[in-house]
Formats: sequence, C-alpha cells, structure tokens
Amino acid sequence: MRQATGQISRLGTLKSLLQRFAFLALVGLTFALMLIGKADTVLVERARIAITDAVTPILRIMSEPASGIASFVSNIRELAAIRRENQSLREANARLMQWQAAAQRLDSENRDLRGLMAVVPEPTSHFVTARVVADTGGAFAQSVIVNAGSSDGVAKGQVVMNGEGLVGRVIQVGVKSARVLLITDINSRLPVRVGDSSARAIMGGDNGTRPRLMYLSEKSAVSAGDKVVTSGDADAFPMGLPVGQVVRVGDGLAEVEPYMAGDKLQYVRIFDFGLANTVAGTTSATTPVTTPPATTPPAQPAKPAAPPATAAAQ
Amino acid sequence: MLQQSPLFHRVDLLARRFVPFCLTLLLMLFALAPTRIPGMSHITPMYSLAAVYFWSIYRPDLIGYGTCLAIGLLDDALTGAPIGCSSLLLLVCHQVVLHQQKFFNAKPFGIFWIAFALLAFGASILKWLCVGLFAQGGFTGIGDMLASAVFTAALYPVIAWILAQAQLKLLAAP
Repeated sequence: MRQATGQISRLGTLKSLLQRFAFLALVGLTFALMLIGKADTVLVERARIAITDAVTPILRIMSEPASGIASFVSNIRELAAIRRENQSLREANARLMQWQAAAQRLDSENRDLRGLMAVVPEPTSHFVTARVVADTGGAFAQSVIVNAGSSDGVAKGQVVMNGEGLVGRVIQVGVKSARVLLITDINSRLPVRVGDSSARAIMGGDNGTRPRLMYLSEKSAVSAGDKVVTSGDADAFPMGLPVGQVVRVGDGLAEVEPYMAGDKLQYVRIFDFGLANTVAGTTSATTPVTTPPATTPPAQPAKPAAPPATAAAQ
Repeated sequence: MLQQSPLFHRVDLLARRFVPFCLTLLLMLFALAPTRIPGMSHITPMYSLAAVYFWSIYRPDLIGYGTCLAIGLLDDALTGAPIGCSSLLLLVCHQVVLHQQKFFNAKPFGIFWIAFALLAFGASILKWLCVGLFAQGGFTGIGDMLASAVFTAALYPVIAWILAQAQLKLLAAP
C-alpha cells in the first residue's frame, strides 16, 4: 500500500517536472521565433503568407456581421440626415458641374499641348477592387488584410486607394489574400508635396491617426489646411495622389489628417500603375527607392500628373 | 443506438476536447474582424487571453501549452506582430493560473475578475516590450496597449459568460 502511494507521489513529481520543463522549453521557443522573425527570414514571411491565405476565407465570413452592422448604423444615420444631405449634395452637384466643364476644357487643352510637345504618355493603370476582411491594426502596427491576391493580379508594392485618397501599399501577397500597410503605420515613409508651394517632405506614420511631415523643404510655406499629395519621387508612387490635409503646424512638425479613415475601410482598390518599383517591391512598404524608372526616357519633360486621382474616385 | 456505440462515444469525447481550442480560436479571429468603429483598432481587446484564462481556471484538463502556442502563433502571423509574442503571453497566462490553482479554488467571480485585470495589465506590458524589442518599428507609446488591457478587463465578464454557457451546453457530462 505504502509502496503504491510512493509510486504515485513519484509519478506526480515527475509529471510536475515535465510540465515545468515543457513550459520553459516553449517559452524558449517563442523567444527563438521572435529572434528568427527579427532576422526577417524568408521562411517567416512565407509562413505568414500561407497562414493568412488559409485563414482569409474564414475572416471574410467573420467580417460579414461587422460589415452588416456598420451598414445598418450608417443607413440609420443617413435617414436622419437625408434632407440636409440632399441640400448639400445639390449644392455640391452645381459646383461640380462647373468643375466638370473646366476639366473637360483642360483635358482637351492638355491633349492638344501633349500632342504639340510629343510627351510620352504615362502607362495606363488598372486596378482590382478588394474587400477588407481583417483589421490587423493595433497599438503596434497599422495594416489590413484584403481578399485579393496574386491570382487577381495583386503584386507586392502596388498602390492601394479608396474613394477618399491613398490608403497604403501592398507589403505581402498570398494567392487569395494580401496585406496592406497603411500610411499611418510607423514603418510607412511616403514622399509628398504640400500645399500650393509644393514643398517636398516625407510623411511618416506613427501608428496614430495623424502621420507627420518630416524633412520639410520649406517649413514656413506650410500651414494648416494645405493639401498633401504624393510627389512621385523615387517612383514608388505616381505623382499627385491625394493623401490628406495638414491640420496642425507647430514646433517644427506638421500633422496630416489622411483623407482615408483607416478604421472605416471596407473596400479598397489596388492599382497597378506599372511603376518600376512596384513588383520589385521593398520590405518596408513605403521606403523610398532611388533607382530611376526603367521606362522613363532621359529627356522626358516634367512628368504629368497621373490619372488615378480621378480613376480612384468612387 | 448510435449514441451507445463506442465509436460515437470516442468521437464525442474528441470533439469535447477541442471545444476550448475552437472557441479560443474563434475569439482570436473575432478580434481581427473590422469593426469600422473609429479608434477601435488601436485598443482591440485581447479576447484570446481572456479565453485562455477562463479555460485554465475551469477546464485546465482541456487546454494545454500546445493550444496556447498554436493560437498565439496564428494570432501573430495574422496581425503582423513578432511571431511568438502572443504565444508567450498565453503560455505565461496559462502557467500563472496553473501555478495559483489553490488561490483560484472556490473564489467568487469578483476575485477572478480582479486577477484577470492584473494579468491583462501585465500581459500588455509584456507585449509592448516584445513588440518594441523584436518588431521593425521599435518602441511606441504604451498608452494604447494599456487602454487595450483596460478594455479587455472590462469585457471579461461578457467573455466569461459566453464561455460559461458554452461549457454548460457543450462540455456538460453526457
């Protein structure tokens, strides 16, 4: 009897020891994985892509209720404000009709002038529309997963926009899914131009809602309300894509309110602008690349604004 | 007839064993669903931590290190956090509860809740450290992580209630 009790006690001790050893071994494994991830090996990247690809169909289903609730709430809100909104839309329509006439006149003039100058046309862009199935943003990263991948023509480095403006860039591509790094992410660095003076700067995210302008070429020329567009430098983004508006300037820093609302993204458009730095991509989504585009002729005059600003408008 | 067959019994037992894993996985995926609520993505609650805490207290026989590791790895792969970071959090949470089994024995829910709030607070600091050390962006403000911990702690009674219902319905003795 005593012998049996002793055996059970010994077995219990052994089990407890094994349990503690397993815990320590697994904790060690997690640290090893974090270190391997820090080294940024291809293996970790591939694993992430494979897992994201496999889980995307489930995420798509799980995002349906959230999307349904959001639509319901927005419908209720719209109903409440329908009269006021109708009035403001009428006014906007009248204003836009004037702009349309101006745009048509400028378009025809632009075409004539291009013909006169023999400008090499910009490569035409095409896009795929994708749904945001997971908002993987958190306090430490700002990215989303969309349900379009390489099978839909999505490639690493492609530009992502929505109706409001620039959203970010594709940093990871699976067969049926892709991860988009938002312009608000701490790793995002975007070459931009600010205001009428076209002051150049780099817009850097900080995981908050308002990215900051860094390396401003003309600090005094920037003020609140100035529009921020992509500069087209480094050929990672086309020129003239709407990004946001300067909302605060002070103490050597300027904050930008992006046109896109990272929290409300539902559908996005992934553009293939045929840029030299698109497919090659960079590990950091918006790292400027200094190599000149292979397709740009050396004697090319000032690059015309890319059409996407209008193409992206939903 | 079917219910009495040994095969059914075995399948039934196996399915029951996976209930905690499946529910924790579901909660982890639920955290990723876009809510479209402004500012929400910054303070997403750590649902999986709450689930691991709950199962470690009530059904430690059905949740093990493997579950913690697997759920954490999936979470990190999907959120873009350093791979292994969430696993570490869940493993530590599970181990703390196992180690303090005597403390958790027959205590009122309020005590579980306070203990979870402390654990969530610790977990958020641990995650902040791991992300700061191992992610590309380096250290960022800790405010959002702490807000996430507060939010997670505040939601714990709801999560615990849902999991308790599942336990009653799915894991009650046949």
